[in-house]
Amino acid sequence: MRRAIAARCAGFWLTGLLALATGCGNNPYAEADPAVKIRFSPFATPHRTLDPAEAYNVTAHEVTGLVYDTLLEYHYLKRPYTLIPGLAKAVPEAEALGDGRVRYRFEIREGIGFGPDPCFGDDWAGASPRIAVASDFAFQLMRLADPALKVQVRDPFSRIEGFEAFHDALVAARAADPAFADQPPLAQYQAAGGIRGVRVDGDHALEVTLSEPYPQILYWFAMEFTTPVAHEAVAYYDGEGQRERYADHLVGTGPYQVIEYDKRSRIVLERNPNWYGIEQPDAPGAHYPTEGAPGDAEAGLLDAAYVGRPLPFIDRIEMRLDKESIPVFNKFLQGYYDAAGIIKESFDQVVQNDTLSPEMAARGITLRKALSPGLFYLAFNMEDSVVGAKGGERARKLRQAMSLAVDAERWIQIFLNGRGIPAQSPIPPVISGSPEGYENPYRRVDLARARLLLAEAGYADGIDPATGKPLRLTFDTYEVGSGGALDREYFIDEWRKLGVDVDLQVTTYNEFQAKVERLAYQVYLWGWSADYPDPENFLFLLTCDMRRSTNGGPNSSNFCDPEYDRLFDKMEILAAGEERDAVIRKMVAIVENERPWIELYNGVGYSLAHDWLRNVKPFGMSYPMSKYMDVDARVRAERRAEWNKPVVWPAWVLAGVFVVAVVPGIRTFFRERQ
Amino acid sequence: MLAYVLRRLLYGGAVVLGVLGVLFVLFFQVATPDDIARRALGDKARTDAIEQWKVNHGYDRPLWPWQDFDDNLFFHHYSTMLSFDFGRSDVDDAPIMRRVREGAVPSLILTVPIFTLSLVLTVLLGLFVAFFRETYIDTAGVFFCVLAMSVSILLYIIGGQYLIGKLLRWFPISGFDSDPAVVLRFLALPVLIGLLSGVGSNVRFYRTVFVEETSRDYVRTARAKGAGEWRVMVHHVLSNSLIPILTQIVLAIPFLFTGSLLLESFFGIPGLGSLMVDAINQNDFATMRVMVFVFSLLFVVGQIATDISYAAVDPRVRLE
Repeated sequence: MRRAIAARCAGFWLTGLLALATGCGNNPYAEADPAVKIRFSPFATPHRTLDPAEAYNVTAHEVTGLVYDTLLEYHYLKRPYTLIPGLAKAVPEAEALGDGRVRYRFEIREGIGFGPDPCFGDDWAGASPRIAVASDFAFQLMRLADPALKVQVRDPFSRIEGFEAFHDALVAARAADPAFADQPPLAQYQAAGGIRGVRVDGDHALEVTLSEPYPQILYWFAMEFTTPVAHEAVAYYDGEGQRERYADHLVGTGPYQVIEYDKRSRIVLERNPNWYGIEQPDAPGAHYPTEGAPGDAEAGLLDAAYVGRPLPFIDRIEMRLDKESIPVFNKFLQGYYDAAGIIKESFDQVVQNDTLSPEMAARGITLRKALSPGLFYLAFNMEDSVVGAKGGERARKLRQAMSLAVDAERWIQIFLNGRGIPAQSPIPPVISGSPEGYENPYRRVDLARARLLLAEAGYADGIDPATGKPLRLTFDTYEVGSGGALDREYFIDEWRKLGVDVDLQVTTYNEFQAKVERLAYQVYLWGWSADYPDPENFLFLLTCDMRRSTNGGPNSSNFCDPEYDRLFDKMEILAAGEERDAVIRKMVAIVENERPWIELYNGVGYSLAHDWLRNVKPFGMSYPMSKYMDVDARVRAERRAEWNKPVVWPAWVLAGVFVVAVVPGIRTFFRERQ
Repeated sequence: MLAYVLRRLLYGGAVVLGVLGVLFVLFFQVATPDDIARRALGDKARTDAIEQWKVNHGYDRPLWPWQDFDDNLFFHHYSTMLSFDFGRSDVDDAPIMRRVREGAVPSLILTVPIFTLSLVLTVLLGLFVAFFRETYIDTAGVFFCVLAMSVSILLYIIGGQYLIGKLLRWFPISGFDSDPAVVLRFLALPVLIGLLSGVGSNVRFYRTVFVEETSRDYVRTARAKGAGEWRVMVHHVLSNSLIPILTQIVLAIPFLFTGSLLLESFFGIPGLGSLMVDAINQNDFATMRVMVFVFSLLFVVGQIATDISYAAVDPRVRLE
C-alpha cells in the first residue's frame, strides 16, 4: 500500500515537473503573426511625462519622437548632421528685420493629420481626421512659456519676441484671478494675448520673430518641443475623473500612434492612419533617403529595396518595461529584442579585439560603433580660492599641471572597456565646427612638465608651503555605489604622482547640491550631451551668463572670461564657415590655457542588432529613427524557434538524483521502524 | 479580550503616528521641499520653475505649526495620510491611491502563489525531515536548508534567470502580461525563485518546531497506544505546532500586498514593490512617503492580528 502511494506521488511530481519543463517556453510575448512587422524593444524606467513640452530625456524621446512630428528633421544617414524639412515645406532662411531682430517663416504642409482620438469629438474615428494647422504650432510655443508646465528648455525660446512677456502675463493673470486657470489652456493663452513674435498667417504659414539673431533656433524646431499640439487634446486630457493626463495620453501627427500605454508595463504603437506621409510620400521625411554618408552604401544602408520607398516600414512597435540590464541583454540573445547595448558583464564575451566575437557573429548579430555627441570632463570650481580664478596665475598652473597628469586613455580602457576616445576640446569631434585635428597640449600625459608647472605655482613636489604638507584638495561626488567610486579613485592616484593629495568626498545628492550652493567644492566629474549638433551647445556651458554661482545656470565650474564671452556672442550668430571656425578655435584656446575643465572623453556607443533588423545606423542624439528601419519577421520567428527549444533532460536528472538519494533512506527507515 | 484588542489598537495607533512623525522629519526636514523640487525638475531647472513647482505641489507651505498654525506641512502631512488622501506623485502627478490600487493586483498575483505554495511545501518538507530525524536525510536536509538560507535572493534571481530562463529556456527571463492566457508563463519563474529563496529558512524553522514537539509526552503516549508514525506526525505533532506556524502566516499576510522589491524589479512585474523601487529611483518623495506609511500600517495590523489569533488557536493563551 505504502509503495503504491509512494509510486503515485513520485509519478505526480515527475509528471508535473515534465509538464512544467515541456509545456512552457521562454517566449515573453503572446504568439504574433509573422506577417506583421513588429519591432520589439525595452524601456528601462516608467516615463515621468510624455508631454512634448516637458519630456526631455532619451527614454521619453523613444516614444514622443515617433508620435510627434516636427517642422524640421535630421537626415537619417548624412553626417555631419543635416536638417531637412519635416512638416515644413522647406528649411527657412533667417530674414533680418533691420533692428537686430530676425524672422523665420515656415511654410507648412497641407494634410497633416492627427492620429484618431476621442478628444476630437464623436466622429473622431471617421474619415475626416483633425488636420494640424499653423495655430497648433503656435499653441505649443505658448505652452512652452506656460509656468504651469515643467518646461526645461525655456531659455532658448525666450529669444522669441514677447515670449517672456507672455509668460509674465500668464503668471499675473493667474495670480489676479484663481478662476482664470480653470479655463481651457487655449482660452487662457488668448486672454493673455499670445506671444508677440509668433504670427499665424492662415492655416499653412507660421512666422517666428526673434529679438536677436539665434541661428540655432532651427535645431529646436527639429525637436518635439515644437510639434503641433491640438488644443482639444490638452483640454480633454486634464486628468480629471476617468480621463488621463495629456502627459500620459499622446495625440500627435507622427508616423505612429500609441494604442496601449501602461507606463509600468508596456507601450504599443501602431501606424498612424492619418500620417501626412501616406499622401505625400515625396516629402523628404516621408521616404527612405536616396543618398547618405560615405560608407553607407557599403554598409547596406542604401539598399535598392528601400531607397526612395515610403515610410514607415514597421507596422507595430512593442516596448516592454525591463529595468535590469542583464535580463534585457539575455532576451536580446534569445531573439526577443531586436537591438541592444552591451552590458559590462558580457563585454568580453561580445567584443574581442574591438570587433564582434565569432560566436556573436555566427548568430547573425551585428555590431555598430558611433561616436556620441557628448563630453565628460573633470571640472574645477573657478570660484574656489585654491583651484579657481581667485588663485590667479598660481591656480591656473595648478590646473594645467593636474590636467597633464590624467591619462584618459587608460581610464577609458579600464572603466569603459575602451568605449570612448580621449577628449581634446569642449566640442566633441562628431559636431560640425569642432576644431579638426586639434590636439590639446594639456591633454597628453607629461608628468615632468606637470611637476615643473606645479613648482612654478609654488607647490614644488606637491607641497603646500602654507602647511608644509602635500596640497590637499577635495574631489566631490555623489551617489556612487561601492564600485562606482573606483573610477574617481583613479584620478586621485594620478594626482598623487604629482604629490597632490586629493580627498574623495562622497556625499548624498542633497549634500552635493548644498555644497554647490555654498561654492564649497573644488573638483568634480560632469558631462554634457548635445541637444543639437552645434558647437554653441557646448561652448555656452562656459559663458558668464550660465554661471551656477550667480545665475543658477549649467556652468557649474563658474568659469567667466570676458574675452571668451565676447567671442561666444560673435560665434553664436555666425553661419557655419571659416570665420566661425576661427572664432571657435580662439575660444578653445582660451579653455586650453585656463583649464576650467580637464576634458576626459567622448563616448563611443556600441550597439548590437540582429540581422533581421534592417537599415540600422546609430544616430547618436536622442531621436528615434524606427520609421527608417525594417524587420524581417519571418527570419526572426525561425531564429527564435531554433534558439529557444526547451532543454528538458535536466528535469529528469534532477528527479533521478532525488529518487536515488532519498528512496533508499526511506526504505531503510521503515524497515528499521518495523 | 475586547479590552486587550482595544489596547493593542491604541498601541498600534501610537506606533503609526510615530512613524508619520519620523517620515515628516525625513521627507521634509532632512530632504527639504527645495531638494524635492530640484530632484523632480532636474539640474537644468531655473529658480522660478522650482518655486512654481513647489506651489503646484503644495510644498510652499511653512513646515511647522508655529510658523503658520492654519496652513502648514506638518498638519497637512498628518491629515492627508490618516485620511488616506495620498495626493499625487511628485514625478508625474498621478494619483498615488490609484497607483497603490493598481499595483496591489500584480503584487498579489505574485505573492499569493509564493506564500501558499511555500507554506504547503515547507510544512510538508519540515514534517518530512523531522519524520526522518537523526538519519542522513535529516542531516542532508538541514545542510541544504542552511546552504539555501545563506544565499542572497539576488543570486537566486540572477542564477534562476540565467539557468532556467537562458540555458534551459523553460520560462521567459522576465516580463509580465496580465492577460490570464499568458500570465502563468510569466509567473512561473519568479514564483519558483520566490519559493526556493524562502524554503531553507522556513523548512529549518518548521523542522525545529516539529522535532521539539515530537519529544513531548503526548507523542510518547500516542506511540505507546500504537499510533503509526505518520499519524503521530500529521495528526498530533502538526496540530500542536499551529502557533508558530500561525505566527509565520499572519505576519506574512500584510506583506503579500506590498509585494517583493527585488522579484518585481528584476522580472518587470508592475506591483507595489516595483512601485517603491521606481519611486526611489525617480526621487518621487510623495510616493515613497505613502509606501512607507502603507508598509508600516500593514505591519502594525499584522502584529495585532498575530496576537489576537494566538488566542483563537490555543485556549491556554490569555489576552490580558
